[in-house]
Amino acid sequence: MNNLADAAAAQVASVEGRATKIKVRDAHFYYNGFHAIKGISMDIPEKQVTAIIGPSGCGKSTLLRMFNRIYAIYPKQEATGEIVLDGENILDSGYSMNRLRSKVGMVFQKPVPFPMTIFENVAYGIRHHEKLSKADMVIRVEQALRSAALWDEVKDKLKQNALGLSGGQQQRLCIARAIALKPEVLLLDEPTSALDPIATSRIEQLVAELKSEYTIVIVTHNMQQAARCSDLTAFMYIGELIEIDSTEKIFTKPSRKQTEDYITGRFG
Amino acid sequence: MSADSIYLRRRLINVLAMILSACATALGLLFLFWILWVTASNGLSAIRPSLFTKITAYGAQGGLSNAIAGSLIMDLMALLICAPIGVLAGTYLAEYASRTRLGTTIRFLNDILLSAPSIVMGLFVYMIIVLPMTHLTHGGISFSGFAGSVALAFIGLPVIVRTTDEMLHLVPGTLREAALSLGVPKWKLTVQILIRAAGSGILTGVLLALARLAGETAPLLFTAFGNNFMTVHPLDAMASLPITIYQDTNDPSPALHSIAWAGALLITVFVLTLSLITRFLFSRKKVSYE
Amino acid sequence: MQVTSAEPLTRDIDKRSRADARHDLIFHRALKFCALLVLASLIGAALSTLWGGSEVLFGQGWHFLTSDAWNPVTDDYGALAPIFGTLVTSLIALVLAVPVSFGVALFLTEIAPTWMRGPVGAAIELLAGIPSIIYGMWGLFVFVPFMASIEPGLNDTLGRIPVIGKLFQGPPLGLGLLTAGIVLAVMILPFITSVIREVFLTVPTRLKESSYALGSTTWEVLWDIVLPYTRSGVIGGIILGLGRALGETMAVTFVLGNSYNITSSLLMPGTSISSSIANEFNEAVGVHRSALVALGFLLFVVTFIVLLIARLMLRQLAKREGS
Repeated sequence: MNNLADAAAAQVASVEGRATKIKVRDAHFYYNGFHAIKGISMDIPEKQVTAIIGPSGCGKSTLLRMFNRIYAIYPKQEATGEIVLDGENILDSGYSMNRLRSKVGMVFQKPVPFPMTIFENVAYGIRHHEKLSKADMVIRVEQALRSAALWDEVKDKLKQNALGLSGGQQQRLCIARAIALKPEVLLLDEPTSALDPIATSRIEQLVAELKSEYTIVIVTHNMQQAARCSDLTAFMYIGELIEIDSTEKIFTKPSRKQTEDYITGRFG
Repeated sequence: MSADSIYLRRRLINVLAMILSACATALGLLFLFWILWVTASNGLSAIRPSLFTKITAYGAQGGLSNAIAGSLIMDLMALLICAPIGVLAGTYLAEYASRTRLGTTIRFLNDILLSAPSIVMGLFVYMIIVLPMTHLTHGGISFSGFAGSVALAFIGLPVIVRTTDEMLHLVPGTLREAALSLGVPKWKLTVQILIRAAGSGILTGVLLALARLAGETAPLLFTAFGNNFMTVHPLDAMASLPITIYQDTNDPSPALHSIAWAGALLITVFVLTLSLITRFLFSRKKVSYE
Repeated sequence: MQVTSAEPLTRDIDKRSRADARHDLIFHRALKFCALLVLASLIGAALSTLWGGSEVLFGQGWHFLTSDAWNPVTDDYGALAPIFGTLVTSLIALVLAVPVSFGVALFLTEIAPTWMRGPVGAAIELLAGIPSIIYGMWGLFVFVPFMASIEPGLNDTLGRIPVIGKLFQGPPLGLGLLTAGIVLAVMILPFITSVIREVFLTVPTRLKESSYALGSTTWEVLWDIVLPYTRSGVIGGIILGLGRALGETMAVTFVLGNSYNITSSLLMPGTSISSSIANEFNEAVGVHRSALVALGFLLFVVTFIVLLIARLMLRQLAKREGS
């Protein structure tokens, strides 16, 4: 408990006075008839890191995946309620997926580089949305790779196959790929759970830097990571939002008993 | 019965089973080597340069050049027909119909087509291509290399459909999600990423299909029919190695039998080489996406 | 490490969304069409052979199925001899191949040392890759003389056994149903072996290990654990082999002897559906040709049903292990 409290107290940013980037109102999610998300409402602040924590099966990934509607490719999965991004409800059937996906980027648990060169991996998404000259594309790719703290390691091997990179590098490549589109929101679904501790801490460092540009929502099963990285933490349990508050508060003085039990490891 | 004798009996049965199964394997290997040996020894003694330069019209003094050419042409044409269709169909099954009823049905029926009698596919092509063409051209065009290729394509198609389907299923689902979350449409993701990711596996399927259709005789009997002279025109009746072997074997002349063995050796070497290549390719595929 | 600012991009998003949706639809349709072609080829094969053989199938009806006549002069055709030959040779092939396949599969999955499994397995699969006409040639030029030399011996040994002895009494031609059955057996052996082997490999190691831990012998694990677990898969594999054997042409055409007489001896020549078609089609005209196509239709229907059953049984196994 002490370690967590210290880590939380070391957080510099506070949440007061931040605009809300995403407003979630009474969101429900069903797959195969199973009621997975039960009426969640929360505010995600702009250019901050919001962590979603909770035991296995609580629905944190499910909730995250509602933010870019990636569930839509699977049958028998549906969402109701409102998720308002910049004043528009993205759950509305009229809201264009293309627009959503260019505003909201996602990085997955397991690094999945495309079977192409490192350069192509980053350029791929850009190519679909914009027509850039060769020179401009090179600049954009470099920008993205720099932002993802990968440039120095790959600048000499951009033409090599991305599958040759290490796990941590591949994950940073995936982050570069996502931010190459210049989204406003970045969703990270347990981005370090498949990585070793050194790679993990590099990514956590990266997250701290990225939040000055992007609104970040990160799902993690690792409480310490949430305490280290995030400004705001949401605790979920069996599809419901139990508590959401500043990270410092959650890890030092949670308001709900359930939260406290989880934080102190009484269940997990 | 004492415990010892029960135990002894069990061990004896076990040893017997092991011996029998080893014998069975030896028997299988025996036949393999017998067949390969016969093919190689008979075939090698008949290999000579004139096989590749002379046509079959000269009988025992001739060669197999038109048959080899015909086989190459028809096999290639068959691949050109069934590979694109097969890859697309397999992609449909894997990406668009993985769990739908239509998809399951097609997949099921494809597996049946895989083992269907090849002679029936020959009859099928005879009825839908050879007969109509004969009518339309008043006998001008009947048997043709084209019809032969189509018949062979039906043999190769289910192999490619199945392999493509299976290979695409091996590609992890998150790859699709990653591409889609970049806003890339499904068709682009499928063509530029998924098929590339499953690339060597799909190629393996195409080569397996080639190995299979290159050795088929029955489908060609009433489609390409055969031709003692050299032709590369697909609308002509066309010779092929399997058909020539068939005809030569049926002939009483031992000289022709000898040529048949040479042809048999050529086909066997081709098919076995393809099998080895696919084996090698497939083991390399396991590298990515563990 | 610099973090560059996120500028809004210039994009005509909605236009591109519509274009993407259009392209997706076209792609989907093209793919679906190709997949439906698979369906079409099966239906086409069935319908075209039905159509081609309709003159005989509907004209002669049941007579076609029950008569063993085959007279191109009087246009009197009966499918009994070819059907008989197809069934008998396939049955012989199964009876011979299945136990051997079992043995090989057991050897490869449990008994052989690990370093042996790959090469031996590959060798057995090579057998499957050899084109059937090569089997036919080997059968005719090598195996038939071999059979001719041992058939007198068969007459004297198996031919003496009461009841089934009649099967093995006959002239030592070398050609015939038995020879064809054996050649067919060698052909389908690798096929059944690979299916059974795959099926054996689906048994969870835990299951086998717990049995070994209790002191079971290898054979007992196979008999008590693996076989019951994979039962429908094994049966499916066997039936699949049957389906293959039924449709095989080139391996048997040279060694059957091309006779339409139905006798009780396996040593006598016979014919099969596919052999009849292969041997006679190109010279046949009119009703004769129609009879051959009708045979083709029969073969297709029978193999379709057999393969259907086989695949259903294999699916049952797959469902069982929750795949």
